[in-house]
Amino acid sequence: MIANYKIELVAVLAILVFVVVLLFINSGGNHKFIGSDDAGSQKISELTGNPIDSFVPIIPQYKPSNGEIETTFFVLQAAIGSFILGIIFGYWLAKKRSTRGQGD
Amino acid sequence: MHIMEGFLPWQWCIVWWIAAIPFLVMGTIQLRRIIRKDREYLSLLGVCGAFIFILSALKLPSVTGSSSHPTGTGLSTMCFGVFITSIIGAIVLLFQALLLAHGGLSTMGANMVSMAIGGPLAGYAVYYLLRNTRVNIYITVFIVTTVADLVTYIITSFELAIAYPAQTGGILSSFEAFFIIFAVTQIPLAIIEGCVLTLVFKYIVALKSDILIKLNVFSEDQISRASHNEDQIVHLEIQ
Repeated sequence: MIANYKIELVAVLAILVFVVVLLFINSGGNHKFIGSDDAGSQKISELTGNPIDSFVPIIPQYKPSNGEIETTFFVLQAAIGSFILGIIFGYWLAKKRSTRGQGD
Repeated sequence: MHIMEGFLPWQWCIVWWIAAIPFLVMGTIQLRRIIRKDREYLSLLGVCGAFIFILSALKLPSVTGSSSHPTGTGLSTMCFGVFITSIIGAIVLLFQALLLAHGGLSTMGANMVSMAIGGPLAGYAVYYLLRNTRVNIYITVFIVTTVADLVTYIITSFELAIAYPAQTGGILSSFEAFFIIFAVTQIPLAIIEGCVLTLVFKYIVALKSDILIKLNVFSEDQISRASHNEDQIVHLEIQ
């Protein structure tokens, strides 16, 4: 039975190892875990010697006014994906079930 | 891997847009062709697109002390190829540029070349090398999805390094700095993404292996060998 779920076990184990290593690394509380995109922007600022504020958009863009609104859009993005996924996997499973029902 | 709006000189924005456009054109042509051929492909296309949407929204902390997100492009690359993946990736990048200010319209060409084209191209190269070998298909899926994710961030590092060479050490030194920020952070996340997408592929094999055979993702023999076990699981779950 366990052999049938090898990939699930490996995935869970990988996530566990990742979480434990992360907790160990952050045990001192020294890391802020800023986004690599922001870290990249900071490095560009360092390399050019220009402050981050001096980089102005070439094409004007909407910026979420605060972290909450930004989080809402990120959640919306994940929710759209999850919604589509749920419908399709549900459809496939139901179809498979009905095919088996007809076969029995 | 997003290069923020305004953080890439306009000359480089044009260069990367020019590099990305042929892929988008080819992707549109292939997408129309594949949908006309069989509407059933739409469901798998939906699953691949949904995973790019979900995974690229998940900002995860990494072992280097910064956060990043997986890309999810490897699955689509194997099922539909690089051109169609470039379209799905472009939709996600457009969503993030317009609503989240992650990336931007001027830098979208560069972001497409890294996430929607370069990463998938590397993944497809690995898939092409492994697909007709005796390597287990799930190991192939794991390697392809991990490589597609990781190479995305290596390309971002390269794009920034050539736009901003360091005063001492030039492009190489700059590449090293961006590589540490982007690619090293990404290694554990790419491995996790590989595991998750392999799991997803297993469920696709269990529920809809006929599409994978029709699309010739793997041979019928490889899929039937893999689906034998999965079929038993689905049968148990249905009961």
